Amino acid sequence: MINTKKFRRHSCIVAVFSLVIIPFTSIADVYNLTVDKVIIDTGKFKKQGIGYNGASPGPVLRMEEGENVTINVTNNLDEMTSIHWHGLILPYQQDGVPTISYDGIKPGETFTYKFPIVQSGTYWFHSHSGFQEPDGAYGSIVIKSKKREPFRYDRDYVVQLTDKHPHSGARIMRNLKTMPDYYNRQQQTITDFISDSEANGLGTTINDRMAWGDMRMMPADIEDVQGFTPLINGKGPNQNWTGLFKPGERVRLRFINSSAMTYFDIRIPGLEMTVVSADGNNVRPVKVDEFRIAVAETFDVIVQPKDDKAYTIFAESMGRSAFGRGTLAPRDGMVAVVPQLKKSPLLTMADMGMDHSKMKGMDHSKMKGMDHSKMKGMDHSKMKGMDHSKMKSQVDPFYAPGSGLTPNAGKDKKFLSYQDLKAQKQLYKHRAPTREIELRLTGNMERYIWSINGKKYEDEEEIRLQYGERVRFKFVNETMMSHPMHLHGMWSILDTGAGKWNPIKHTVSVAPGTTLYTETEVDAPGQWAFHCHLSYHAASGMFRKIVVVGGPKSALLNSITSKEPKV
Amino acid sequence: MNILSKITAIAIASATITLGSSQAWSAGSHDGGHGAKKNIGIPGKASEAMQTIEIKMLDNYYEPESISVKQGETVRFIIKNDGEFVHEFNIGTAAMHTAHQEEMMTMFEHGVLEADKINYDMMKMDMGNGKTMEHNDPNSVLLEPGKSGEIVWKFNKAGKIEFACNIPGHYDAGMMGKIKFKS
Repeated sequence: MINTKKFRRHSCIVAVFSLVIIPFTSIADVYNLTVDKVIIDTGKFKKQGIGYNGASPGPVLRMEEGENVTINVTNNLDEMTSIHWHGLILPYQQDGVPTISYDGIKPGETFTYKFPIVQSGTYWFHSHSGFQEPDGAYGSIVIKSKKREPFRYDRDYVVQLTDKHPHSGARIMRNLKTMPDYYNRQQQTITDFISDSEANGLGTTINDRMAWGDMRMMPADIEDVQGFTPLINGKGPNQNWTGLFKPGERVRLRFINSSAMTYFDIRIPGLEMTVVSADGNNVRPVKVDEFRIAVAETFDVIVQPKDDKAYTIFAESMGRSAFGRGTLAPRDGMVAVVPQLKKSPLLTMADMGMDHSKMKGMDHSKMKGMDHSKMKGMDHSKMKGMDHSKMKSQVDPFYAPGSGLTPNAGKDKKFLSYQDLKAQKQLYKHRAPTREIELRLTGNMERYIWSINGKKYEDEEEIRLQYGERVRFKFVNETMMSHPMHLHGMWSILDTGAGKWNPIKHTVSVAPGTTLYTETEVDAPGQWAFHCHLSYHAASGMFRKIVVVGGPKSALLNSITSKEPKV
Repeated sequence: MNILSKITAIAIASATITLGSSQAWSAGSHDGGHGAKKNIGIPGKASEAMQTIEIKMLDNYYEPESISVKQGETVRFIIKNDGEFVHEFNIGTAAMHTAHQEEMMTMFEHGVLEADKINYDMMKMDMGNGKTMEHNDPNSVLLEPGKSGEIVWKFNKAGKIEFACNIPGHYDAGMMGKIKFKS
């Protein structure tokens, strides 16, 4: 057992605090988790992985807002481990990131987490050590609200998505480093070249291919790790996870994307979904036919199946290389039609932040060393007052105009956009930011290096924030991949142009060729991780340490200097 | 009518949404106009009310979440919006509510309704076809946060009816309740 002393001291502080503030309602529950080697059976292949309490996914931890939790985590592996409580607001020493929050949990040891639960909603937990998370070390957290929630439901299911790969995380990382397109099975072939030449002319086709070559990227680079089997609550498409309902009931589905690398587009043919919560924070209810969930995000939706029949939960990967499938049914064993995968999207030059069709005759060989920072992305903050819900066409300002990734639910169907997310309650008073920090999301695909402002984690200093300030982060995505950026410990208020109703998230997806802004009220002293949540991007350098200077508990800051990225 | 009382009359009308006749735009009119309302009851007289039911509107639910009436009974509803957003109390069938939700969506798109505000001037604007977006059906009230309203309704015929808020998303999130008929 490590850190016993520190924890004793800490629990005293918590006890005093709860005596003063919440003397009567305080509950203190104890949760026990073991970290174990497990066998994961996807229905297509069986693979040894890592799980909790003997299974992957681990259990649903059901907590209550206002309680003080004690979580004993016993490491039964022969390597170090850790658990990060994704999206929870807590003291930084409890955040579970080795080298930033604490040292980690040694083999055979039990580490005891203790922290107050100050929020409600749908969250998850996962290992922040090595590639244990892609290997299966994840579970879900459901926190019951103290107050009545602004919606009603009769049943409640966690729907946790993952992308189980037959290769271990460590092997995938090695292969990507050796050959970045190792897992890209959708590369364009000589046949594509001939048909494109016939359609667009030889010159255009050659120019197009040369342009992509200069970018060191390929139009089919939407999923750089393919060959996985999507799982819903640990079950593959043929194992068909099923949630039961009685016709007419409202069913709350808590979607969590715990994938290592995969975004999913989710629909339930025959049912409209009312989105009521994003990343654990309630949003004004919005009815959609389909939504995209980035890695690490959560969305709660309510559906009301009225007929006595089965409905398919269909989760196709954004690059369309695979789908997850589950079923909602009145009785076990019932199934509904499983749709075909939609056509694979191809990235366009718009996803590079530029439209090359307007650049005829350019000599692409002169484009090396281009300054991508000068590329105009989209500035969402300038789009205030536009009501995008009115647009009948499928325009989503959170994608570059002409982007191959822009989602489309089909004719007369609604696909959720970040633009539709409006906070149900303001968590913070709306105010002007005190300063702006620009973070360019950068990468070199040829060497599988992902970075921020051109620098990998180990080559760059931490970002220092002042307690009490409101920082505006400007994310400029200069790569052709989407990056789900996750800030630990503090909320990211996503600027959709809705001012005080901007939604509050823990993970925001920045699409290729776009610029996106978030604001953070710096209210959590200590040091925190800030990274792209694609496992292999974070591990290869798209990661920063944030240090919050000042604040009431600044004395608690310890001096951890190691900068080894542990994701 | 002197000017002051005229202003007061308008203020009352717009604050609580009139109980008067409904020519046009609002709930149920898409559903066959006045005729169809016979299925859900008719406007009642306050003097004939046998029961008063207080309804609290919150974000995004009602208290109580269901009510009981007798066939033929006239009920006085006193409705208070204790939430932070605009809410509606509307008596109708599920189909009427569905139709009304589309109208409400249009009101949002035109800026007549905002999440926490009703723009009454815009409601009165001619949309170019002689119609306005006034929300003045006798079977409903639309209230800003903090405001109260009243409906007197005669349930002259038992049927499958619900009270509901048709602000976009609210019905689907569960802001609706059943009207049960006691025998």
